[in-house]
Amino acid sequence: MAFYEELQESMLDGDDERAVEITEAALADGMDPMDVIQKNMVPILDDIGEQFSRLELFLPDLIMAADVATAVKDVIAAKLTKADGESAGKIVIGTVQGDVHDIGKNIVATLLEVNGFEVHDLGNDVKPFDFINEAREVGADLICLSSLLTTSMPYMEDVLKSLNGLGIRDQFKVIVGGGPVSAEWAASIGADGYSEDANEAVELCRKIMSEKKGA
Amino acid sequence: MKSHTRLLTVLDRMDNGPIMEEADFDKLISKTVRQLIKKYGLKRNPEDAILTEDDMADRFFQAGLELAETAGVYCTDTHSRMIFSRDEILQALRWAPDSVTYGSGLDQCTIVSRKVEDPRKPIICGGGFGTPIPEEWFSTVMESYAKEPIVDTIVGCNFYTTHGRTPKTRSPWEVLLAWREVELTKAATQRAGRPGMGIGVVENAVSEIGELSGTSFGGFPQQDWHHTCFVSELKTNYGLLIKVAHLVRTGCIIHSFYNSILGGYAGGPEGVVICSVAGIIMECVVNMATTFSICPTHPFYNCDTAPELVWAASAVQQAMKRNTHLLTTVMTSPVSGPMTESLLYECAAMATAATVSGASRIDGVRSAVGVQILHVTGLEVRFNGEIAHAAAGVSRKDANEMIKEFESHYVPYLDKKPIGKSFLEAYDPIKVEPVQEWLEMYEKVKENVARIGLKMNH
Repeated sequence: MAFYEELQESMLDGDDERAVEITEAALADGMDPMDVIQKNMVPILDDIGEQFSRLELFLPDLIMAADVATAVKDVIAAKLTKADGESAGKIVIGTVQGDVHDIGKNIVATLLEVNGFEVHDLGNDVKPFDFINEAREVGADLICLSSLLTTSMPYMEDVLKSLNGLGIRDQFKVIVGGGPVSAEWAASIGADGYSEDANEAVELCRKIMSEKKGA
Repeated sequence: MKSHTRLLTVLDRMDNGPIMEEADFDKLISKTVRQLIKKYGLKRNPEDAILTEDDMADRFFQAGLELAETAGVYCTDTHSRMIFSRDEILQALRWAPDSVTYGSGLDQCTIVSRKVEDPRKPIICGGGFGTPIPEEWFSTVMESYAKEPIVDTIVGCNFYTTHGRTPKTRSPWEVLLAWREVELTKAATQRAGRPGMGIGVVENAVSEIGELSGTSFGGFPQQDWHHTCFVSELKTNYGLLIKVAHLVRTGCIIHSFYNSILGGYAGGPEGVVICSVAGIIMECVVNMATTFSICPTHPFYNCDTAPELVWAASAVQQAMKRNTHLLTTVMTSPVSGPMTESLLYECAAMATAATVSGASRIDGVRSAVGVQILHVTGLEVRFNGEIAHAAAGVSRKDANEMIKEFESHYVPYLDKKPIGKSFLEAYDPIKVEPVQEWLEMYEKVKENVARIGLKMNH
């Protein structure tokens, strides 16, 4: 079986031991470490993401694939130069205060992770300053806020007010999403972006990071 | 109430259950659900709109019971699993009420346990279930539900504003939200001529703060039905259990909802059914609820009217109503909004599926999935209720064919999210009556529903 198919199978099975084994063997045979990522893992993850969007795969499959991807990345990390091994961006994510809905946010976090972002998931019912403190501590590029409740949405605005009040608004890009959240709401509170679903969130984060790196 | 005697046992299990990481509990759920689907041979036939096999309904119940016993309920504050033996679970199901009366005086109504294909009509609950409403229109929207004679009980919307401010949950604002709900909901039932009507409360109590405040002196009484829930899948927390403890000690009717997520830890529609059955069973045990609603949720459309979820809702009801006497309800949560035909067909599909599958109460309508400001009206609730009454006594075989046709009228629009028009455009807000265009659309769809085979007598 070719490396691509074997890796694909192990990611779908959540078999990280097998994935590590075949990756080490491929590297020993001379495969370029970047090819493991770019020509194999990334397209496999793209395919898994598309299957999820058609509900042919589910959240547990995404989580298993993300766990295997992390194990594979650990194996090849030592082979990469610093520049090659950089993450797509550092993200702090969570559901805002007063709201315990987290499955939608978990889907976004997992899709971001499988797309190469370093994700710090704070869970649900997260206070505004907890987002800010975590973002400062890990040196985040983006803060992603989720809310499924209209009465929790004002806490999104509180995050932005606090960033402004602390004079550190320009250090982090802030994007928002969730059932009742809209592009108009995002604009009204001064957020940097809004996404309607998980796939859009990944594209938005990629776009923001690309603009940031280009700046 | 005799079903409320377990509170100390529940709290003991919360404190002393086996400790586990939350992520490991999520994995336990998804792994166990996959195993149970194989073990019990559970498979949705995509050609069917609803479940029509008794044997599979019974196997879904057994799978849900096994999940409930195996996984228990996870408390995210103590990080422990609240485990109950099969015998304890069955005892709780046995002592759960098979009827309950809401409200008082001439306006009270009684909800009773129904069976699959039961000819008795379910009771009808009208409300926007969390739809954001600016406070100046809250009472008017609620009156549009209460004034419909087919509606037996109502449930609140959420305030988009209160006292001219933007409120925040889990803050002092939540106290004011609860009291604004008391004030304006009671005003609505009074204006509709139904002052004793039972109400689903406290809708604005996202946390325990609103429930504790709104269910106190001069607030909502025991005869209203008071909400709590689990977090999907099979999780609870101190806030939700504080509500339970308060409602048990104040002798209130407890209503518990369980909204499984398609594509989440439950997986596909079969997993949604297993998790929902387990959720209802454990809400009986842990939350000591009297009534139990489901609204399985689509991960991309946020509705429960996608075909796989209409099927799942029917399977959950049949599993529960063939094996218990619990008072179960189903909420219609469509993508479409007022003044769209697709909204009415979404109602027709879900209300028919729920009624023939044995639901005791038909809830809704959370039009435009409850997130568009003021996009709800009383007319779709009237229609939802009329469908439910017409479907009482219809066989699953006949309903299956009708629902397929109903679905053909809205499924092409699910990803387009036709949110329609707001209450202020769909109704004359002073007279609290639907505008002519909305009425004509309603009459047209009713005629077509009758042509499809569902005879509506209203």
